[in-house]
Amino acid sequence: MNTKEAKQTLLLYRGPIDDGDPQFRELLAHAQRDPELARWLQEQISRYNAIRSKLREIEPPSDLTERIIRQRPIPFPRDWMQILKIAAAVVISASITAASLGLWQRERHSVVQGQEITVKGEVLDMTCYIAYKLSGPEHAKCARDCIRSGLPVGIKGDDGKVYLLTGKAGQPVNADLADYAAKIVTIKGKKSIRDGFAQLQVEEIRKF
Amino acid sequence: MSADLEFEKLVKLYYRDLYRFGLGLTGSEGDAADLTQETFYIWANKGHQLRNPGKIKGWLFTTLHREFLKTCRRRKRLVDEPIDEGSASLPDVPPDCVNRIDSQTLLRFLREIDEDFRAPLVLYYLEDLSYKEIADALAIPLGTVQSRISRAKLQLFRRLTETNSLPVQEK
Repeated sequence: MNTKEAKQTLLLYRGPIDDGDPQFRELLAHAQRDPELARWLQEQISRYNAIRSKLREIEPPSDLTERIIRQRPIPFPRDWMQILKIAAAVVISASITAASLGLWQRERHSVVQGQEITVKGEVLDMTCYIAYKLSGPEHAKCARDCIRSGLPVGIKGDDGKVYLLTGKAGQPVNADLADYAAKIVTIKGKKSIRDGFAQLQVEEIRKF
Repeated sequence: MSADLEFEKLVKLYYRDLYRFGLGLTGSEGDAADLTQETFYIWANKGHQLRNPGKIKGWLFTTLHREFLKTCRRRKRLVDEPIDEGSASLPDVPPDCVNRIDSQTLLRFLREIDEDFRAPLVLYYLEDLSYKEIADALAIPLGTVQSRISRAKLQLFRRLTETNSLPVQEK
């Protein structure tokens, strides 16, 4: 290999960081025997270090770390204790609402009647959706896990309305819906609204 | 350690490197900051999928580069040929030449380098990554990385030589 060919490869040599790279080993030995090549190599390393130093002088804006940390989304995997607490809060809140509504209904001798409807939309993991507004394909795996583990499941219709999905008493629908997490389905069921909470008692699930 | 603290630690460890890489790619402080933020945002959402903690740095650089490419209009594919004799004729860049320019001028020169050559060159200068690691981070073959760095260096050196031939302006 002549000096010109050696320079072509040694143009990539940066110094100690590349000492372990076999492609340079023989050429470095060659440079030790060739004073002109050795001088050229030294200049090449000096230029590399000078350019590197110039670039590393650049400092990011002082508030960049703060901006990154502040805008951080909720990380995955999330704290399952926190999720369970939120789920518990949702259930307790729904129970209180239902109980209040029950009292109110008893007092007024009125019953909220279920109306049969069909809703086409995305299957939601209600805990993540309500707490973090997470939905869509990117959240599918988490949603599937959450639904499978028994957390509340819902559907967001094309019109933007969200329904809590339930089965008949004692028959949860989580197992039936977990595989549809974040997917578009059509669900036929009985709708009822209690104190602002919309619920759909599932009768039929159709994958869209 | 909580997830919040882990995230903050990671940000503090790598945000400078990512910002400089972004700045080398875009030449714009605002764009570099946006790319850095976006990269950590994606990490917060998807980083848990990475099984090997030793690959975090590479993952972050890959992600930033991918986000950068998304913002660029895709140009015709460059053909990575071996360096021929003509292109390998190295410009004579005096060693002190670099000291005569400031970081902003250097960034401007980098910005003038072909986009596909720029990313490997910036990583070559800024990061202590092996050529294999640079290839992995940019998802291009090892030979292509070396070819692109060589070509990019030639472009940069030519630009430095032109600057060096200009008279030094008195302040």
